[in-house]
Amino acid sequence: MDYKIIPSVCSYCGTGCGVLFQVMDGKLTDTLPMKTHPVNEGKLCIKGWNLHEHVVSDKRLTTPLIKKNGEFQNASWDEAIQTAAEKLKGIVKAHGPDSVGILTSAKITNEENYLAQKFARAVIGTNNVDHCARL
Amino acid sequence: MEEQMKKWLEPFSTTDGKPSTLATMQEQVKEWIDQDKIDVFLGYKMVQGHPLPHFFTKSNLGEVDELISGQARYSLEKIATKIAAETPDIKIGLMVRDCNQRALNVLYVWNQLNPENVETIHLNCCPSKLKKHADCSYLEPEKAAVYKKKVGIDNNMDVEDAEAFNMEQRFQRWMYEFSKCIKCYGCRDICPVCFCKECSLEHPELIATGTLPPEIPIFHLVRAVHMGGRCIDCGLCEDACPVDIPLRLLYRKVNATVQDEFGYETGTHAGQSPFNLLGDEVTLEPKPL
Repeated sequence: MDYKIIPSVCSYCGTGCGVLFQVMDGKLTDTLPMKTHPVNEGKLCIKGWNLHEHVVSDKRLTTPLIKKNGEFQNASWDEAIQTAAEKLKGIVKAHGPDSVGILTSAKITNEENYLAQKFARAVIGTNNVDHCARL
Repeated sequence: MEEQMKKWLEPFSTTDGKPSTLATMQEQVKEWIDQDKIDVFLGYKMVQGHPLPHFFTKSNLGEVDELISGQARYSLEKIATKIAAETPDIKIGLMVRDCNQRALNVLYVWNQLNPENVETIHLNCCPSKLKKHADCSYLEPEKAAVYKKKVGIDNNMDVEDAEAFNMEQRFQRWMYEFSKCIKCYGCRDICPVCFCKECSLEHPELIATGTLPPEIPIFHLVRAVHMGGRCIDCGLCEDACPVDIPLRLLYRKVNATVQDEFGYETGTHAGQSPFNLLGDEVTLEPKPL
């Protein structure tokens, strides 16, 4: 029997509540609020309480999917990135950079958000950047 | 923060009156694990600056030197219950405060833990009316703000004070408190004595779904009724409530009724509960319908 408590940060929204994952014999079983975390002080909403469920969910994607012949098919990351890059290039070429918008996220880090807007402005060439917290 | 950390690491004292230090507790744990008296010990360890529940076994015996009393109070007995459900014969050592011990007693009564497989080390506990001096700072009452005092129920009230409002006022005040509920189920999820596989609170035919706040006051009253003879007044539910509903006060009232009717003081001993007829002996006469 092996039991571990792993501290983490809730990934559901941008609040950043401290959570504890309970791991029993390598399997994620429960989420607890972190009592001493300065953000949530031992409290969580219903999503935070069930955070482990989206990690262990059967519906969770474990590989990228590409739509071929109207159906999603498993793909490698190289293949997926290549396809996305080609399509984006094609759209920018045909309709101009402002035909593309980048939506970033409250659930990713500040640095990742910075990279996303940099990608929009420097690579695509558009100021169409928005954020899920405004949707 | 630094001051708080220092407080978490301070020596503790045992409830049997003997002064004790962290070192003697660590020694005791090592001895128990070494002599196979217990397979695991549930205590606390500082991880990334937070006192977190930690699992000490023979394979990480060295870590016992980092065992602390941990003033942040988690329900170690609930973790123990989950571990015992997976591995029924496991011998578990636990660090317990008074509230943990009361929870253990209830879990023994309801056959969720086997007292023969549990060893405890006692710690000084949170402040209460019974015990003024205490180490656990987490339940030092927060002062109710002006608006809450005016329209709601102050969490620090006694049952008697809360009952002093006239009927209409009392109902309105409680409804104000319940109306804040965001249905996070935190009160149930954190509760050391909530272990049912199926929960009435999630039964769509008992409590309507799809709205916030949930169906009030029924949502909270269903839980309150189920806390009769179960609630050990640890306050973890109130601690976990994001909207500060005075749950502890509500369950105190329910338990007072249980005590008046059955003379049963929840959690004080591991003997028969008036609501548990699955024990060795049935002591209650069923009343005629």
